[in-house]
Amino acid sequence: MEPFRNEPVLELRRAPVRAALNDALQAVNSTLPLSVPVRVGDDSRAGDALVSTDPGAPERVIARSAVATPGEVDAALEAARTAAPGWRDRPVTERADVLLRAAARLREDRLKIAALAVRETAKPWPEADADVCEAIDFLEYYARGAIALQEGAELLQMPGERNDLRWAGRGVVAVISPWNFPVAIPCGMVAAGLATGNSVVLKPAEQAPGCASVLVDALRDAGVPPGVLGFLPGEGDVGAALVADPRVHTIAFTGSGAVGLEILRTAAEVRDGQKHLKRVIAEMGGKNSVIVDADADLDEVVPALVKSAFGYAGQKCSAAARVLVHEAVHDGLVERLAGAVEVLQVGQASDLESDVPPVIEREAQERVQRYVAEAERSGRIAARAAPVPEHGWFASPSVAVDLPPDSAVLAEEIFGPLLAIERVGSMEAACDRVDASPYGLTGGLFARNPDTVDYVVGRSPVGNLYVNREITGAMVGRQPFGGNRLSGTGTKAGGPGYLMQFVEPRVVTENTIRHGLVV
Amino acid sequence: MDERALEQEIFAVGSRLAASLPSQARHPLKALDTKAMDLASSDAELKAALFRFVDVVPACRSLDDLARHLTGFLGELEAAPPPVSAAMKMGNSRAGRRALGMASATGVKHMAHRFIVGEDPEAALGVLRGLWKEGVASSVDLLGEATVTQAEADRYAERCARALDALSRAASGWPERPQLEADPQGRLARANLSVKVSALTPLLRAEAPERGKRDAAGRLRELLRHAHRVGAHLHIDMESMDSRDAVLELVLELLSEPEFREGPSAGMVLQAYLRDSPHSLDTILQWRRRGPGAEREHPLTVRLVKGAYWDHEVVDAQQHGWTVPVFEVKADCDRNFEGLTRRLVDAQREGGVRVAIASHNLRSVSHALAYNRLTGGKDTDIELQILRGLGDPLQEALAAHGMRVRAYCPVGDLVAGMAYLVRRLLENTSNDSFLQEQARGAAVEKLLAPPGHEPAAPLGEPAGTI
Repeated sequence: MEPFRNEPVLELRRAPVRAALNDALQAVNSTLPLSVPVRVGDDSRAGDALVSTDPGAPERVIARSAVATPGEVDAALEAARTAAPGWRDRPVTERADVLLRAAARLREDRLKIAALAVRETAKPWPEADADVCEAIDFLEYYARGAIALQEGAELLQMPGERNDLRWAGRGVVAVISPWNFPVAIPCGMVAAGLATGNSVVLKPAEQAPGCASVLVDALRDAGVPPGVLGFLPGEGDVGAALVADPRVHTIAFTGSGAVGLEILRTAAEVRDGQKHLKRVIAEMGGKNSVIVDADADLDEVVPALVKSAFGYAGQKCSAAARVLVHEAVHDGLVERLAGAVEVLQVGQASDLESDVPPVIEREAQERVQRYVAEAERSGRIAARAAPVPEHGWFASPSVAVDLPPDSAVLAEEIFGPLLAIERVGSMEAACDRVDASPYGLTGGLFARNPDTVDYVVGRSPVGNLYVNREITGAMVGRQPFGGNRLSGTGTKAGGPGYLMQFVEPRVVTENTIRHGLVV
Repeated sequence: MDERALEQEIFAVGSRLAASLPSQARHPLKALDTKAMDLASSDAELKAALFRFVDVVPACRSLDDLARHLTGFLGELEAAPPPVSAAMKMGNSRAGRRALGMASATGVKHMAHRFIVGEDPEAALGVLRGLWKEGVASSVDLLGEATVTQAEADRYAERCARALDALSRAASGWPERPQLEADPQGRLARANLSVKVSALTPLLRAEAPERGKRDAAGRLRELLRHAHRVGAHLHIDMESMDSRDAVLELVLELLSEPEFREGPSAGMVLQAYLRDSPHSLDTILQWRRRGPGAEREHPLTVRLVKGAYWDHEVVDAQQHGWTVPVFEVKADCDRNFEGLTRRLVDAQREGGVRVAIASHNLRSVSHALAYNRLTGGKDTDIELQILRGLGDPLQEALAAHGMRVRAYCPVGDLVAGMAYLVRRLLENTSNDSFLQEQARGAAVEKLLAPPGHEPAAPLGEPAGTI
């Protein structure tokens, strides 16, 4: 097998590459609304209890989805439980081949799948494309990782005994995925489970059932047996039922902190008939800070902050929410950043000229507005992009300054296009503030003195620290991604250790002496 | 073309020029009286440390801060040469840091002055006049911070307008230099300004070029009008691949507008390190011959360069998994440069286009002159461009031989000029560069050999770039 390499994103700086996007969008438009069924084993039931819409044009229906009933949840888990041993016992190379075929399917249809993400989640083209590429990367990376894992690990061997360490799939994985990386994140969690010989039941985000459905199609078509991958679109109650069920061994969740903590609590309880401890992989929220030292090059800082804070309207767990800037360059940075934010174009995700798309739903729009109002009341809005389209869930990218240290704007995850700037007297003070936060997902540092970089690296609690660059855009295999503290369970998606969460170790020691003869 | 005759002519032209290079100038690095550059050329780690230091100098707030940065970078070296150990020792005391900071600040300023002619156009006028008197024309480039806001774009456009005024006013008082003031296609402007599209708008996006183009067009149109009014030449520079298509389209679109039919004198840049640069030249010539540009009365100047963003283009493409857009073997780039040279010289002879060969590579320059001669031209038909600070000796030799030469002269303060300075220093110390080879005292035969006739080496940084 070829060594892993990241799927190249589209080279959108070339006009012919850009020209293909519109065709893909038209092709997808003609298929809307998608019908998204519940899929349990060989059964498939369409419905329209759940509807996803275009955040930039909420009257446009993207997908009509069935919602899994308690009976279907039960049936899916029963199918998964029954199918798991057979899947686990298939040679790892066969499972890996299935994932690689699924990757090939996504690659073939990548423009159309990205177009669907543009429509259903208002993900701008470059990022929607990157999302599909990341999904492909997860399939390719975990397929290789599972093969490597099958080799086991070296143990100390003595004459007369043979020691063998192997890992095996734990059983049934329940995947609960978010809408903001509507293909990549469900794909990563599902692929990790499948590659290691687990069966999987996927509950996608209610905002993006269409994207997840396309992923399930690709995996099923590539040869994942029906019982091994169930698909249960629905709301929170479907996820809650999965988490509580004794047939589930592993829960892979990406989403809000509140839901994540609830999952951890529920999963800790051992139910009647449950013969194992559940393991939870939770990727939760963040409040990510970028530290800017006095020697930073503002020419680089400003574009990197704009990208980190306002790319996809700030709706990435890795997005920048706070800037802790040295007082010597504070005013200059605020002025330049304000000017850079004022020229941002807020518009439809399908328009390459838009810098900032709408947020996902009305509730998100209102949440951002609440925090902006709070920032205006207790501090000052230094800049905002205008005008913002009235129709659709648009929120104006804004920069807040002069906030009191106890402001909610500085502490709570907003998940929208609002960036707060704070003045600090030193790098020590900046690190103290980062350290005071209960979150630990991503962070950034702009500094050029190697001693400063060493100091901040040493004190940084976050899972992913980016030095002198934007803080979003982690790549599979290059920047294994995941948070510490209350941001997550410390696992690293797209990294070398990730698959370990989905397996259990089994050591076999065989006595090889018989009547004094070593056999 | 009889290639053997051409090679003979290249050798004849080249060895005459080489003989006129001042002997000191055979070693351009020696002119840098900072020992650091010599050291840096032979030690990649030290070079990286020194460049990172040079880069951060304008952001340092005090001598102490400067010294702390310097020792910070040097402290990362695995094995420190004696001057480095001495510097590290100085970093241990407050007084030592002050002295170290002072010495290093002076060194960097000195280096900067080699490449940057003044803090603003007024301050540069003396140097420009001096060059003119010695038979060297100039093009001024206003260095600046990146443009991220509309206010910054406005400020840059204003600086350009003021520079056009200052240059044309001062140039009118310069003595006559006939070989610099006309070519077979007519008069040449004395005042010449190079501008960057990325500085004229904060909206240039690689994946959505139209919006940035529209925004830059407003300011660039004003500058074209201004240049026309004061009789100056306006040259639009090329930058990285991310903006290449946008700049090419923008320039051709603006120059197609009826109001610019009779001027100003204007030009653009062709980067020979790009694999698809022959296609860009097709586009330009098509526009000029059969497209909207055919209406234009003024010739379009095409400055042929190798290209100054080689490392950036390679790294950027590799990180994204894209095909690298630039030649990765120096000889391929040099060959392409010669191919484009011939096409441009031919096009110039047909009229409507002016060629400017911008290179410090003796072979590339000699090739252009020889090809032009063998196809029936005079040496002064061709404009030769040299970067201030990089090719000064060659520039003097060319002027001494009565060639038409123009120095590209960056103007700006240290903060603004640092990115430019680092690129130039990289070029100056790159092991594959022509300048390094020349500095090592390579034989004229070797310096003038056709591309690829030296052992193939990966392209470090193309020599003679703008």
